[in-house]
Amino acid sequence: MAGRANPWTTGLFAALILLFTGGPVLLSLLGSLIPDRVLLDQGSSLFAEGLNFDGYRYVFTGELPRAYQAENANRAMISDAARQVPASLVNSGIIALSAMVLNILLGAPAAFLFARYLFPGKKLSFLFLILSPLVPAVALVTPIYIMLQSMGLLGTRTGIILVHTARALPFTVLILSVFFRKMPAELFEAATLDHCSRFQVFWRIALPLALPSIGATGLFAFMLSYSEYMFAMVLSGDAGARPVSVVMAALARNTDVSWSLLNTAIFIAIVPTLVLVVLVWRFVVEGLLSGSVKG
Amino acid sequence: MWEIRRYPALWLLPALLPVALMTLYPVAYALWTSLHSVMLLFPGEPFVGLDNYLRVIQSNYFQDALTNSLAFTAAAAPLVVVLGTLIALFLRRRFFGVQVVRSIVLLPWVLPGAISAVLWIWVFHPSFGVLNGLLRDLHLIEGSIGWLTSPRLAFVSVVVAHVWTQIPFTVVLVMAALAAINPETLEAAAIDCKSAWRRFWYVIFPEIKAMIVVLIVYNALTAFTSYDLVYAMTGGGPGTATTLLSFQIWRESFSMYDFGAGSAVAFIVVLISAVLILAITRALPSDLFGSE
Repeated sequence: MAGRANPWTTGLFAALILLFTGGPVLLSLLGSLIPDRVLLDQGSSLFAEGLNFDGYRYVFTGELPRAYQAENANRAMISDAARQVPASLVNSGIIALSAMVLNILLGAPAAFLFARYLFPGKKLSFLFLILSPLVPAVALVTPIYIMLQSMGLLGTRTGIILVHTARALPFTVLILSVFFRKMPAELFEAATLDHCSRFQVFWRIALPLALPSIGATGLFAFMLSYSEYMFAMVLSGDAGARPVSVVMAALARNTDVSWSLLNTAIFIAIVPTLVLVVLVWRFVVEGLLSGSVKG
Repeated sequence: MWEIRRYPALWLLPALLPVALMTLYPVAYALWTSLHSVMLLFPGEPFVGLDNYLRVIQSNYFQDALTNSLAFTAAAAPLVVVLGTLIALFLRRRFFGVQVVRSIVLLPWVLPGAISAVLWIWVFHPSFGVLNGLLRDLHLIEGSIGWLTSPRLAFVSVVVAHVWTQIPFTVVLVMAALAAINPETLEAAAIDCKSAWRRFWYVIFPEIKAMIVVLIVYNALTAFTSYDLVYAMTGGGPGTATTLLSFQIWRESFSMYDFGAGSAVAFIVVLISAVLILAITRALPSDLFGSE
C-alpha cells in the first residue's frame, strides 16, 4: 500500500469519499445561510438574495428572520423547537459529561484487571461484556422505561445518564484494556517487587501513565451519549431534560418548518460533534491503530 | 499476566453490574411480559403462554415488516463492509491531506440518527432536494424523481442513508486490522506480486478476513435492529415499503399500549439477533483484542 499511485486517481478517490461522507453536512451549512425564498421559488436566485445569518440570530435571541416579519408571512414555518436548541445543547453536555466521568470511574479498574491479570471467570466476564452491546436497543426500551418509572427517574437527566453510562461501559472497558496492555510490563513488575499492592500499582502507576488514553476513551463515551437518540427520547419525556438529539428529531418531523431554520439548528447541533471528530480521531483512533501494531 | 485466585469482584462489579442491569434484567423482563397479557387498560397480568407471539405473527403487518427488515439487512450490511474496506484500504496510503479525509470520514459516526435523517431528506427531497436539482441541472431528467415517495426508491434511499451512518465504524476497524499486518509480509508481497488486485486477494484479504466476517455480522445486526434513521426519514412509508420489524415493538407498546405484544416482537427480534450473535462468536478469533 505504498503511495506510488497516480496522484490524479488518488485525488479523485479522496474527493469522492469527501463528497459522500462530508457532503450532506456541507449542504446543511449552506442551507442554513440561504434564505427560504431562494430554495422554494425557482424565480429568485441566490445572487439576488445573498446569504444571511437570520436563522442563527433567531435561535439565540428569538428575533424573527426578516422575511417572516412581514404582515402575511407564514409564521407556522418558524418553530419554537428551534429555540430549544441552545438549552438542549446544555442538557446534552451535562448528560454526556456525566456519562463520560462515570464510565472512567467504573470502567478503568475493570479494564486494568482484564489487561494485566488472570483470574477465574475472566473469559466469561469478558464474553458477557463484549456480547451485551449486541442486544438490540429497541428490545430494551420498554423494560428500561418501566424500570426507571418505578425508580421515579423518568423525565430526569439522571435516568438518561444511567442508561448511557451502562450502554457505553463495555466499549470503555474494551478500549481501555487495549491501552493498559500497551504499557511496558517491566513497570508493573518493578512495582510488585517493591511490595506495592494491586491497588497501589493501579492508582500510582497505571492510572497516571494512562491519563491521555483515559481522556481519549472518555471522549468516546461522550460521543456515544451525545449521539444516542432512542433512550433519550423515551426517557426525557416532555420535561426540560431533552438532549439535542431529541429536539432535533422533533424539529425534523415538523414538515412545515422553514428549511433555513432547520438547517441552522442542525448546524449548531453539529458544531460540537465537528470538534469531537477531530479529537476522537487524534486520540482514540490513532491510539488504537498504533496499539494493534504491537498487539 | 499475574494470577488472582478469587474472582476480583470489587474491581469488576462496578463495570459489570450496570451493564447487567441494563441488559440481562430487561431481556428477562421482555421474556416474562411476552408470555403474559400486559395491557395498560386492563388490570391484572394473566399468563397467556404463546398467545402474544401467535397474535403478532398472524397480524397483517408482520410479514411485510419481517421481509423489509431482512431485505434491508441483506442490502445494507454487505454494502457497508465493501465500501468501508475500500475506503480503509485507500486511507492507508500517504498523500497530501489524508489526515483531513480521515477525520471527515468519521463525521457520520458522531451525528445522532435524527440529524442524519434530516440531512438525507435534504438530499432526496422530491421537490427541492439537492439530488433532483443536480440531475435537472445536468439535464438528465425533466421533472423530479420521487426518491422518498415511490416505494422502491424510498427503500433504496434509506439504505443509502443507513450505509452512510455505518461506514466510519467499519473504516476504523478495517484500518486497525490492516495496521496489524506484519509490514514484512506486505513488502514481500509488493516484490512478488505486481497486480494490486492479486496482492489484495492473496495477501491482504486473508489477514483481515476475521475482521471482515465480524464486521459483516455486526453490520447485519445493526441493520436488522436499526430504528431511528429510517423512521425519521420515511415514517415507514410510503405504505409499508420501509416499515421495519423494529418499529413494531414501538407501535405495539407505546401506541397500542399492548406491552405483551410489544415484548413478543422484541423477543422475536432478540431471537433472530441471537442467531447472528452466535455466528459472531463462531467467527470471532479469541485473540481479537490481543492476549500478548
